Amino acid sequence: MISLEVRILLLGLDNAGKTTLLKQLASEDISHITPTQGFNIKSVQSQGFKLNVWDIGGQRKIRPYWRNYFENTDILIYVIDSADRKRFEETGQELAELLDEEKLSGVPVLIFANKQDLLTAAPASEIAEGLNLHTIRDRVWQIQSCSALSGEGVQVRLWRRLAVPAGHL
Amino acid sequence: MFSLMANCCSWLKRWQEPVRKVTLIMVGLDNAGKTATVRGIQGESPEDVAPTVGFSKIDLKQGRFEVTIFDLGGGKRIRNIWRNYYAESYGVIFVVDSSDIARMEETKQAMIEVLNSPKISGKPVLVLANKQDREGALSEADVIESLSLEKLVNEHKCLCQIEPCSAIMGCGKKIDKSIKKGLYWLLHIIAKDFDALNERIQRDTTEQKAYEEQKKLERAERVRRIREERGSRTSDLLLPFKALYHQQPTMLPIRD
Repeated sequence: MISLEVRILLLGLDNAGKTTLLKQLASEDISHITPTQGFNIKSVQSQGFKLNVWDIGGQRKIRPYWRNYFENTDILIYVIDSADRKRFEETGQELAELLDEEKLSGVPVLIFANKQDLLTAAPASEIAEGLNLHTIRDRVWQIQSCSALSGEGVQVRLWRRLAVPAGHL
Repeated sequence: MFSLMANCCSWLKRWQEPVRKVTLIMVGLDNAGKTATVRGIQGESPEDVAPTVGFSKIDLKQGRFEVTIFDLGGGKRIRNIWRNYYAESYGVIFVVDSSDIARMEETKQAMIEVLNSPKISGKPVLVLANKQDREGALSEADVIESLSLEKLVNEHKCLCQIEPCSAIMGCGKKIDKSIKKGLYWLLHIIAKDFDALNERIQRDTTEQKAYEEQKKLERAERVRRIREERGSRTSDLLLPFKALYHQQPTMLPIRD
């Protein structure tokens, strides 16, 4: 079977849960995770797919370095804290700036709506409007509810399936 | 000979018609078969489709039409985004799972909500009564009755056609003929009254874009202020660490 390599870029604000998500994907221990200063990368194989996932630190000061990783991105996964409504505008603004980047033009976006285990988590339509996703017309976008903590919604099988509408396979 | 000339004339006339760009929205409850239908139209396998919780689109050429179909998520928690696409749509494709009798009332409510919108009223609606391959699927007439379709479309002055179909039956050239037929009908209706419809859509979208642009500017300003505030706070508190902050990113390897 031919192995299809997919380059996935994992971005989002600090404390969104990017690294926890990445570790869950690789079935690693998630009990001692500290804010990412640089980046983490994991490669996961699944049914003829090789997913190379890059997780870049999300703190404000290091966000300008995100652009060093844009090249050849197949899918952008943007992680948000679904319960932190106060930051929807900020995270939406950050995402809007990403989508304006030439190197990411047309790249499909998956919004990982993390922390859905919290009772106060916002539903998909509120996230879509909060992040201004409904004004996007030039690419596919999709919201995936998940909980990086419990591992729900982050299975490899699912990532593969989500890559399909994004134009792979 | 005369008929040949007439044929030529009508062909020439059609050839001279400008290309018309038309946007359609595909809506309906989750699991109705919207994405399967869209993928079938596009010539891709309509099987093993993941639920759409968002937005995707396909482009196709149909005669002098350049058609874009927006495939919108139908789940309860995402359905609210539909309204953002009403202004720019020339017509609606509403997909119904005819075999899911338990959800007919929910389907009806969702449809009422769509047609009730002033941005949709008066536009043509194609109802695809999907999943006819399933046992116990409601027939065309039964779907009309359970949705009170007749009353609904009359109330909102929407021209309507219903096509019983099965989206998973095939794709591309082998796609269920009813889906094709329905799509032809929809485009035919749109073409008939194109200028008035087009004018309405241009007006509505211009209005919506201006509103969105305004919101965008306001939001950008709010975020800028938040960032500024936080920036000045951290610079006081974290003064000793500031040098560190600036150093660390340079450790990131840069891809070339």
